Amino acid sequence: MMIKLATEENSLTKGLQQFFKRLLATEEIDALFLPVRLTASSSIMPSLVTDADQIENAVPLSPAFPLNSGRMVSRLSYKLSGRKTAVLLRPCEMRAFIELIKLKQGSRQELILIGMDCPKALTASDYTAYMEKDPLADDAYIQKVFSEKDDTLNGFHFSSACQTCENPFPVNADINIFLHGVDLSEGVMMDSGSESGQKILESLKMPEASMPANREEIVAQIKEANSIANSAMVKDIEEKTNSIPKLTAFFDRCINCYNCRNMCPVCYCKECVFNTDVFYHQPVQYHQWAEKKGIVKLPTDTVFYHLTRLAHISHACVGCGQCSNACPSDINVFELFKSVAQQTQAAFEYSPGTDENDPPPLSVFHEKEFEDIIGIERE
Amino acid sequence: MQQETFEPVIVAFVCNWCTYTAADLAGTSRLSYPSNIRLIRVMCTGMVDPQYVIKAFLEGADGVLISGCHPGDCHYINGNYKARRRVKLLKEILPRFGIEKDRLRLTWIGASDGIEFAEVMTQLNDQIIEMGPSQASVSKAI
Repeated sequence: MMIKLATEENSLTKGLQQFFKRLLATEEIDALFLPVRLTASSSIMPSLVTDADQIENAVPLSPAFPLNSGRMVSRLSYKLSGRKTAVLLRPCEMRAFIELIKLKQGSRQELILIGMDCPKALTASDYTAYMEKDPLADDAYIQKVFSEKDDTLNGFHFSSACQTCENPFPVNADINIFLHGVDLSEGVMMDSGSESGQKILESLKMPEASMPANREEIVAQIKEANSIANSAMVKDIEEKTNSIPKLTAFFDRCINCYNCRNMCPVCYCKECVFNTDVFYHQPVQYHQWAEKKGIVKLPTDTVFYHLTRLAHISHACVGCGQCSNACPSDINVFELFKSVAQQTQAAFEYSPGTDENDPPPLSVFHEKEFEDIIGIERE
Repeated sequence: MQQETFEPVIVAFVCNWCTYTAADLAGTSRLSYPSNIRLIRVMCTGMVDPQYVIKAFLEGADGVLISGCHPGDCHYINGNYKARRRVKLLKEILPRFGIEKDRLRLTWIGASDGIEFAEVMTQLNDQIIEMGPSQASVSKAI
């Protein structure tokens, strides 16, 4: 069913806060997980909320995207807690969480997943600078992103992940929040995506509504514009990294902090091979490398690390851009990963986070497939 | 001129039960195959992580071969099918960085195919020589 959620005191944010308060008041929901502005700072972090008063600080739609919450929801759901939680996620966070469900690192059994039209994001460093330089109020921000076509925010560009995202719309959720095409001065549209979502929307006893007519057109426009931006980005990054020497130069500044891995929502190993003794080389090993090549840069194994990560998880990359966000050396990890991910995902006809029942490509096989890669005939 | 003296480095991950046994048979049958090919015995091609192949190329291999049992013959039931998916994956990723598709090969060579083993190794060696040195091997990257 579809309902219209009205604004509260002419504020969309307050209207949404009211919705979350009512959710928390129902018997089905014990806790909420959503972005909350932390007191005494401008930081907005995903938080688990059980106190209705705290919802006053919730900011469901903002340019803050400090991390991909999909991974945090995995922490909340990999075992049963005996509590039902309503979780608000951006589309790429939702896709990441669906991937983690497939890997048994999360479960939606005790969750109500709420998806939304993506409110876009600034990179972490841009967000900090933006907040210091006359930021828009929460409602003005929503109007700006969903009503105006301008792609900058007080001079800051949205992150390249957002600009090239071909699917910034909710999928797989129990409840969807729609903003594109909706008259935001009146409120937002909500739609149930599952039986449990429908039950909740029914319990709110709001009048049924129908989808605004021009939404599909707007969605198509966004997809097309972002797809064009994506093609340009991919072409550019391919040019910059199409050989091992170029790739080496691209990762020159990598300090092996592994932030990109730690912030990657789909890098799923409990213990990464790069943290094991395999890479705890003997001192003599470094000398042997140096003697063989004349020079060896330390830390070693940086290009190897990124290539391995590409092989391990590019099929599951949801394109959230948090790898670039987390890089202290400002390496554009995201662009490289997205360009390779497109290729590997196309090779296995895999679309991460779209269908919960579609197994990860490297976890399955068929007897008859890829026959052309066997043997030593030249391709 | 350089082509004539080019001795490639080819790393071959061969499974214990089929291709390694075939290599053994080739040896006991006194068949010869190019010494450019360095065999690494693994229990199953299904255990060859993509990172082994990547490391081999970054360390200067001009070619990498993964060779195991024919479909249906895997000692561990389905390891070779898993290997095939990983090779497919690598053949998508490596060319993106200038390591040609044909430098990575997957073959099925059964335990009794000693002659086939020697032939395949010779052909592979010839092909890699024809392709020339891998550009990944001249770099300082490790």
